[in-house]
Amino acid sequence: MEVLKIEGLSKIFGTGRLEVRALEDINLAVSAGDLVALLGPSGSGKTTMLLCTGLILDPTTGKIIFDGKTIFQKNGWSGGVDIRRLRREKMGFIFQSHNLIPFLTARQNVLFPLSLVGVKGEAADHRLMELLEYMEIAERADYLPALLSGGEQQRVAIARALANNPRLILADEPTASLDTIRGKKVMELLKKIAKENQSAVIVVTHDVRMIEGFDYVYHLKDGHLHHQVG
Amino acid sequence: MDLAFHDIRQHLGRFLATLIGVGLLFALVLAFNGIYRGFLLEGLSFIKTTNPDLWVVERNRGGPINEQSILPEFYHYSVAAIAGVAQASPLIFFPVERKILGKNRRFAIVGYDVFGGLGGPQNIVAGHGIDRAHYEMVAHKKLGVKVGDMIHLGLHTYRVVGLTSQGSDVDGEPLVYLSLPDAQEVLFQRDNEEIRNQRARLLQTLTRSVGFSGPQAEKYLPRLLPDTHIINAVVVKLAPGADAGAVSRQIQKWLYLSVYTTGQQVNLMLRGKLAKAKAQTTLFRIILFIVSMVIISLVIYTLTMEKIRSIAVMKLIGAPNWVIIRMVLEESLLLTCGSFLFGLILISNTYQLFPRRVVLLPGDHLITFLIALLGAILASGLGVRQALKTEPALALGGQ
Repeated sequence: MEVLKIEGLSKIFGTGRLEVRALEDINLAVSAGDLVALLGPSGSGKTTMLLCTGLILDPTTGKIIFDGKTIFQKNGWSGGVDIRRLRREKMGFIFQSHNLIPFLTARQNVLFPLSLVGVKGEAADHRLMELLEYMEIAERADYLPALLSGGEQQRVAIARALANNPRLILADEPTASLDTIRGKKVMELLKKIAKENQSAVIVVTHDVRMIEGFDYVYHLKDGHLHHQVG
Repeated sequence: MDLAFHDIRQHLGRFLATLIGVGLLFALVLAFNGIYRGFLLEGLSFIKTTNPDLWVVERNRGGPINEQSILPEFYHYSVAAIAGVAQASPLIFFPVERKILGKNRRFAIVGYDVFGGLGGPQNIVAGHGIDRAHYEMVAHKKLGVKVGDMIHLGLHTYRVVGLTSQGSDVDGEPLVYLSLPDAQEVLFQRDNEEIRNQRARLLQTLTRSVGFSGPQAEKYLPRLLPDTHIINAVVVKLAPGADAGAVSRQIQKWLYLSVYTTGQQVNLMLRGKLAKAKAQTTLFRIILFIVSMVIISLVIYTLTMEKIRSIAVMKLIGAPNWVIIRMVLEESLLLTCGSFLFGLILISNTYQLFPRRVVLLPGDHLITFLIALLGAILASGLGVRQALKTEPALALGGQ
């Protein structure tokens, strides 16, 4: 089943002589369990595409269908769609710099998205332990992010992204701040999550060494989605 | 999840330092509340302690406390003769600075008719009231004297026969009660050298300038010498059922004097001597309050700016605005409540050290606290605005 479908999406910044066409006529379909890599050099539009896909940035034109429901069409968000609610309930985000909330412990960072959707008490604790054990970080649960290594922080960030069983996980350069071994471990973890949780995973990266075993690899160049490898 | 609590725990040192700083400002605000109440209490103390039905004073004067009023002593007989007056007593109220037991002290002398007249000392806590016509005094215990002390005032020495704990003059100085003639002597009697000089001067004027003969000048001389039989007010107790307004009008019409009820005396003080003190303390309270709110606002803004990336992450992962607003607002309220509590504890344990009376009232604390809470909400506005403006894209390091 298609989790995300993008049709003819464009994003233009500025007007006239200052106009920059960041994305042009992007078409993409991602199904549950798909592991998709989005490759491209700096300035190719990778982050812009991730922002549009994550419903953070308004596309200029195009259509976004999420879970079979059109949420963006032509030049506006569909009425009645609560974008932030969609993000907290159906999307998970993993960042290059982990972006854990520094004043919350690893445990609290993972509990935070659960609290946003009203999961509390035993149910929240159960889910928390499940995630921390899955990420092999349970023994560091009560540490503040500053006391965790880069790899540990990234595993907590992934646990946070998975907390609400998202339909779509968007990862922005998740291995950029890790060494090769730890980076590969994170990529293995994302593959495992895609298959076991049946979540669609889109990973933005510029490191081709990290995309071994991905279902689809897209190359983004000058705003165009050029190449597709099955 | 209480984000504010976790954030404060992370920045506990800075939070506590700010709390103490703002708490000191709140302590000053509360102190000024108390100083203002103290001004009122002391400023109105003599009026409320004396508490007659009517104060009769010099025509067109707001005396005897708000401004000076001088009347001939015998006027109290005329006032007593007005229909509806049950009792009329002469009264002197005069702030002075004299040497008491070797130290310069400021106090107010109250002279009254010690044989049943109105205006005498209330609430005697040691000794007894004055029961002789001369050379006895009752003093407020704040004066630092004790029963049996001999105090030299003017030309004579007075024995302290009683101590009172009630009443002060407008500046919070103690009261000293004397019999009316003693008070007149202490306040208005010139010393012998001055009297001799004045006699000689007046005799010369009468004989050389006016052309009187020696015996004629001697005959008129006593009438021209300063008179000590003066008072500042006549205090009146009305007969049962008498109408204060009607009696006042009678006195004003027939005796050509001004008359105030005790309530009107209080208003005279509030609009007169106490008005500027009230304005001054109110202004200080407002300035201190604004400074407190500006500091809280800046601290909350700084704390918000420090976690702007975390706020972007929260928005990106779908946190509704109220979660972020609650965090900022809670920090502001916690800082304000903590500071207020610190200030309250501080001033409650130190107010006795102030040189003038500080009267702390729970009602004033409550009003100040409610205003502080309102201020805290406004102070957090800057931080909330910045938090709401933050784009979730900031979490990705772009846009």
